[in-house]
Amino acid sequence: MEKLSLYGFDPSPPVRPVKLALAALQVPYDFIEVNVIKREQLSEEYLKKNPQHTVPMLEDGEACIWDSHAIMAYLVSKYGKDDSLYPKDPLQRAIVDQRLYFESGVVYADAIRRTNTYVFTTKVLPKERLEAIVEVYNLMESFLMNHDYIAGDHLTIADFSLISSISSLVAYVKIDSSKWKKLSAWIKRMEKLPYYSKNAIGAEQFIALVKNTNFTVEA
Amino acid sequence: MGKLVLYGVEASPPVRACKLTLDALGLQYEYKLVNLLAGEQMNKEYLLKNPQHTVPMLEDDGKCIWDSHAIMAYLVRKYGKNDELYPKDYHKRAMVDQRLHFESGVLFQGCVRNIAFPVFKHNQTEVPRTKIDAIYEVYDFLESFLGIKQTYLCGNNLTIADYSMVSSVSSLLGLAAIEQQRYPKLSAWLDRMEKLPDYQSNNGNGAQMLIDMLSAKITKIV
Repeated sequence: MEKLSLYGFDPSPPVRPVKLALAALQVPYDFIEVNVIKREQLSEEYLKKNPQHTVPMLEDGEACIWDSHAIMAYLVSKYGKDDSLYPKDPLQRAIVDQRLYFESGVVYADAIRRTNTYVFTTKVLPKERLEAIVEVYNLMESFLMNHDYIAGDHLTIADFSLISSISSLVAYVKIDSSKWKKLSAWIKRMEKLPYYSKNAIGAEQFIALVKNTNFTVEA
Repeated sequence: MGKLVLYGVEASPPVRACKLTLDALGLQYEYKLVNLLAGEQMNKEYLLKNPQHTVPMLEDDGKCIWDSHAIMAYLVRKYGKNDELYPKDYHKRAMVDQRLHFESGVLFQGCVRNIAFPVFKHNQTEVPRTKIDAIYEVYDFLESFLGIKQTYLCGNNLTIADYSMVSSVSSLLGLAAIEQQRYPKLSAWLDRMEKLPDYQSNNGNGAQMLIDMLSAKITKIV
């Protein structure tokens, strides 16, 4: 098997779920840093492989695959010993998929990316951004109402996707464990994964980057 | 086969993506209207089925699934005669998945919802120019995703990525036109999509509805 290459940057929320998935699948890979703060994703070489110029990106032989969710689904299908991380049953898969699209839409594109844009440019955050993040926490709480994991009773790639986002969003809104009981319990459950450091290190870096902006919240 | 019910509203792009898919698969279904502007998605009954209170939602023999992309993938996998609309080959599927997540995040949240939500929910009549620029950035990306002589978004076969993308793109044309000179491939792709059988009833009419609704409320780009 040719060695995989993962292009990414640890603070970046979408990169870390792929690292968690690769660790869970015990698939070896080379990590090639693409520093998005220094705009390295805009190099001609990178653009040829990924015209959307985002991280993460996976290289598997000739194949260049991007979008964290697409990468994880690919990895489980191709390298998984079984389908537990991404169930083949149509209904179970549909639930995992919905959580993944919740992450790429409501969580990443809106709650994370739009908030980051304010914080890293104007450094003044409109209050509604914090409300949007609270709404994410509320929805997570409802998804976890009757199950230990985000898409049911077992760990899936949806948990990897969302733990990275949530552990990054705490830079903006802390998670009060009395208000979000299920969410707090799920976070603790995820932190117990033997390979959780693949997320923790980058999450801390992201939080530090946010703190260093000294952003203020609009009254 | 159990009964299929699609919950939605015509103007909603993700609902229309599901309609295109259901039709392509030759599936019969019941359509139930959820009046979003009247807040019907917040009804207790609906919330029990879908705590995210969004449309579309699919009920298949009593089981509830939501998010248009998840619904479309489910329908092809469960009811498709073949895997053309959503390839089983891991690499080919990864490309469809990437386009679908691009639609979910960059296009739908980033452009459609980011513009429509303040307009309809908060009655804002002015739209910042940056939000229009964001639409053109999406068009730039789509133009690059469409390779030379490539018929559809993921190659020469139509996939659910095309249905997903066209539902949103067609809804934004009132705010950002696709000039053929600037976007030759995207423009050709849109023409191709509009020529699909039953395109008007599944997507075209609803897209025009959303365009008109936005046009009626938005007075200025600032």
